[in-house]
Amino acid sequence: MTILIHALQALLIVLGAPLLRGWVSKIKARIQRRQGAAVWRPYADLAKLFRKEDLVPPLASGIFLAAPRIVFCATATATLLIPVFHPAALLGAPGDFVLLVALLALARFALVLGAMDGGGAFGGMGGSREAMVSALAEGPFLLGLTSVAILARSSQISVITGWTLGQNFFDVSAVHLLAFSTLAMVAIAETGRIPVDNPTTHLELTMIHEAMVLEHSGPSLAFLEWAGAVKLSLMMSLLIALFFPWGMADGPTLQAIALSAAAFLGKIVMLGLVLALFESSIAKLRTYAVPDFLGIASATGFLAVVFTLFGER
Amino acid sequence: MHLNLVHLAVGKTLSSSAVFLFLTVLLLAASRRVSTSIVLFALQSAIITAQVMATAYTEASTEAWVVAALVFTLKVVTIPSALLWLVKRLKASRGIKPAIGSGAAVFVAALMIFLSYLAVQPYARASRIPEDTLAAAVALILTGAFLMVSHRTALMQIVGLLVLENGIFLAALTTTFGMPLVIEIGVFFDLLMGILIMGVFAFRIRDTFEHLDVTRLRRLRG
Amino acid sequence: MLGANLIQLSFLASLASFLAAVPAAWFEGRSKRWQGLPSFILMIGLLLGVFVAGAQLGSAAPPQFDFSKVTPFAFALKIDRLSAFFLLLICAVALPVIWYSRSYLPRHYDPVKIQWIWALSSLFIFSMVLVVAAASAFSFLMGWELMTLLSAALILVDGTSRERLHNLFIYLVMMHAGAAAVAASFFMFLPVSHDLYFSSLRASGFLLSPGARAAIFLLALVGFGAKAGIIPLHLWLPRAHPIAPTPVSALMSGLMLKTAIYGLVRFSFDFLGGGPAWSGYVLLTLGAVSGVLGILYASGEHDLKRLLAYSSIENIGIIFMGLGASLIFLADQSPAYAVLALVAALFHTLNHALFKSLLFLGAGSIADATHTLDLNELGGLLNRLPNTGIAFLIGCVSIVGLPLFNGFVSELLTFQSFLAGATLHVPAARIVLPLMAGTLALVGGLSAACFVNVFGVAFLGRPRTDAAESAHEAPQGMLAGMSLLAMACIALGIYPRLVLEPLIALAQTLIPTATLPAEFTGLQRLLAPAAVAMLALALITMLIRGRRRVTAPWACGLPGLSPRMQYTATAFSKPIRSVFAAVYKPDRDLSVLPSDHSYFPTAISYRSVRTTSYERYLYRPVTNAVVALANQLRRFQTGNIQVYLLYIFLTLVTLLILLGLRK
Repeated sequence: MTILIHALQALLIVLGAPLLRGWVSKIKARIQRRQGAAVWRPYADLAKLFRKEDLVPPLASGIFLAAPRIVFCATATATLLIPVFHPAALLGAPGDFVLLVALLALARFALVLGAMDGGGAFGGMGGSREAMVSALAEGPFLLGLTSVAILARSSQISVITGWTLGQNFFDVSAVHLLAFSTLAMVAIAETGRIPVDNPTTHLELTMIHEAMVLEHSGPSLAFLEWAGAVKLSLMMSLLIALFFPWGMADGPTLQAIALSAAAFLGKIVMLGLVLALFESSIAKLRTYAVPDFLGIASATGFLAVVFTLFGER
Repeated sequence: MHLNLVHLAVGKTLSSSAVFLFLTVLLLAASRRVSTSIVLFALQSAIITAQVMATAYTEASTEAWVVAALVFTLKVVTIPSALLWLVKRLKASRGIKPAIGSGAAVFVAALMIFLSYLAVQPYARASRIPEDTLAAAVALILTGAFLMVSHRTALMQIVGLLVLENGIFLAALTTTFGMPLVIEIGVFFDLLMGILIMGVFAFRIRDTFEHLDVTRLRRLRG
Repeated sequence: MLGANLIQLSFLASLASFLAAVPAAWFEGRSKRWQGLPSFILMIGLLLGVFVAGAQLGSAAPPQFDFSKVTPFAFALKIDRLSAFFLLLICAVALPVIWYSRSYLPRHYDPVKIQWIWALSSLFIFSMVLVVAAASAFSFLMGWELMTLLSAALILVDGTSRERLHNLFIYLVMMHAGAAAVAASFFMFLPVSHDLYFSSLRASGFLLSPGARAAIFLLALVGFGAKAGIIPLHLWLPRAHPIAPTPVSALMSGLMLKTAIYGLVRFSFDFLGGGPAWSGYVLLTLGAVSGVLGILYASGEHDLKRLLAYSSIENIGIIFMGLGASLIFLADQSPAYAVLALVAALFHTLNHALFKSLLFLGAGSIADATHTLDLNELGGLLNRLPNTGIAFLIGCVSIVGLPLFNGFVSELLTFQSFLAGATLHVPAARIVLPLMAGTLALVGGLSAACFVNVFGVAFLGRPRTDAAESAHEAPQGMLAGMSLLAMACIALGIYPRLVLEPLIALAQTLIPTATLPAEFTGLQRLLAPAAVAMLALALITMLIRGRRRVTAPWACGLPGLSPRMQYTATAFSKPIRSVFAAVYKPDRDLSVLPSDHSYFPTAISYRSVRTTSYERYLYRPVTNAVVALANQLRRFQTGNIQVYLLYIFLTLVTLLILLGLRK
């Protein structure tokens, strides 16, 4: 029974990811006074891409087709570590947050390799920028996770979630606030949202993620798009699990799980709304201002770790 | 029940406002635009207003309520809107590039917060003054000074001064648990005059030099 | 009893075969009949070494050898667990390298040179074994000096150009300064210890005064740090490693650096039992600086072997960080976490030996196929060297520390030990160690950027030059060596228990009374299921494959997309280099020759030189001071023999007077 629930958690993140993406773009469209596409649209897009053929550059190697699949596998495996309905996950042991970060790094590694295998100019350009962004995002990512891990005295994500559940929401501690802002900034950088990267742009000067997937098409592109959506929902679920877990079930009873599922959906809808509002209200940074953005994240992460010294208030 | 909720809110305000103040400090250090900084300053003042109200509630002093009202009208409403009007008039929304990158600036601000904690710790331990709030006050003073040093726009120096003043006010509030009203009013009047004079000067600088970059005032030394 | 004898015998046989390879190399040079003999003998010796090390790693009764009766100084060998681990590391990694060289050397060198390389490299391996098996200061220092000299000789085999000699000179000077520091740290024990056997050093460690302990630690740190290439003592490393023959580069970067780690562990954990209280912070700081700067310098390189040499500095930094954390835990009376950090550091030592040798061998294969090591001239090699490419990719993924490969396991353990720092008693350490997690993550991110660049530019896309276009796959022997190392990387990444359990036992002998932290048990629960999940998903996704059509890549609708339009390694690393511009401090030299009109110059020349800050701010003052001192001392050197005799005479008289006064 519990295994089933844990599997369901991961499945929800993976299968619900396109819906979340559709929701965010719908809100963004409404803010721009547009009707926008239906929230189910990303599913239709994926289905269409899966039916199409794979276009392969003439001199590409096997990596070109393997990379999108590896990206998807690594991202999907990372979802196994995230608690959704109750504070436990399919995979979990002390130190698993490092595995989470490393799996995302593996996905990115494969993504950049796939981009460089295209043999055009854009792949290298996007890969080079992505390499910079991710190299700088890794530090704050782990610092933010480390600070909450220190508070909870555990390096296991689900145990941290359980610890936070036992706390009072109104006891805002500096560490939590700082760690949340750090991880939120990292999540924006990792998922390529505004102001770090514009997910809808195709302008050579600014694109990062879109430049990397430019040569891919058909099922390969579908895997990449899906993995991107999964990454977004994964980061949001991680933020929810670490900072807003209230509403999660105590035990594996059906009623409690149903309640916590509803709570989770409410929370992720709210987060999506906040993301859409945030994205609509600011402009994309110049590429060379992105390190500044991540520098801010690093500084807040640094501060979050330092503040653990002053005890958990 | 009603009283209980108010009580809870007051307690939370007192215990967690310092954290939010730290956040505004970091954001101020990161901010690249004068108008954003002004809005952040207003936000910071709003947090301080809440703090004053909470103190007024716990200490049950009417004077403190008056002070809260003063802080709100002056620092949350009047001064920010005046400054925003000034920014609009001077067309100086985009600040001149500061001397230090925003990542590094936030890092410096983080270090200053750490420093202020270390500085107030021995003092706060000895008395019943809340450590976080006092640390926040010191951090505000330091960041205000840092903002004035690191930015080159005359307007940002006004904002820096205001942040610094916020810090001094907060320090006074926490150490004395509500100052006498007369002194408060005097300080506010002082501040208002200062802002007025600086605003006029900003106009004069702009009119004379066509920009607000104070580093270029060096030529004035004769 | 027979077992113990067998092990003693096989160890001696292994040493003997290292020595026997020298005459065998001579024979090989003489006649075709002896073709392959030296490498065969060498491999037998290495296999025996692996056997001895494997047996001793799990055994509490170390075999000992004492030759003091026949040697003028105390010359003894002993293989305890620590020695056995490093013996295993050396023999097990050298084996595939030798296998690789069997087919690599004949393709690149004439028989005379091959003869020299075999003879010298077998002695080189012998000297490394001597270092890790030594049980007295004399045998250790002998092996240490031999190691330096033989590696220098191996570099000379490849040529004696002026630049090469200059680099070699820097190498030798720094190594000798380091060896002097190591020797001095041994001699510092003499006031409390009657001889220099390791057992007496260990027994007398606690008798030392705090000042002497600090001095011993610092001297050992300088000596071993110079060998390990820790920043700022790294100057020789990127100069000496790339110019050696490729298999020797693999041995130097993969193995020789590790003997320095061995020495440091031996001194600080075994002899001193933890070192001074601040020692952990020193190691941690040096490690963090080396880690970040090492990988940044590596990112700026486009010569593959130099890049790999810089990345060795980074990995040594990570190892130092682990050792530093362990010492901090030890000073704070938390032995359980000290074990965790020490195991992490030692595991990373082994991992680095594996993947760095693999990458150097891969670099050799690339050079073999294309005759260049400049990344900007490669491209599209994966289609031409598929097997080499896969092995190289495994090396890259491992060194970056991505999950399911061995680098990840040791980095995970290091992370966990940093996180455990939050449980310490000293407030300073409570934040310093967790903050190091951020530093390690930055290093990891930067190394991912660096190696994705290496593999992407060299192996993917389209060939940038004719040399890359006409490349061909390496022969079987070379592939075999690389695939052995690659398989080891995967095996240790998914099933690290193979090495973890002996390592924990080893760490517990160095740090007695330590219980086992829970982090170790969690590791296995995490890695194998993650691997299973990923493989299952991979199978499913690989099944989904549609029709394929080959089309040209997008070039904004214009014709004529040439391979030169691809990003080069230099272009790829540009964003990172510009973010960390302060670190590189390039000496840019832009000179514009003006004609009569200033807007239309006749010629523009641009030159950019990097990484000179150390030389300018650290080494230049030191060398200037030494030269100035030497100039002063020249006054004593008149050239007159009688004056020299007078000096000796005066010294004798002074010493006698001093002696008389003391009485």
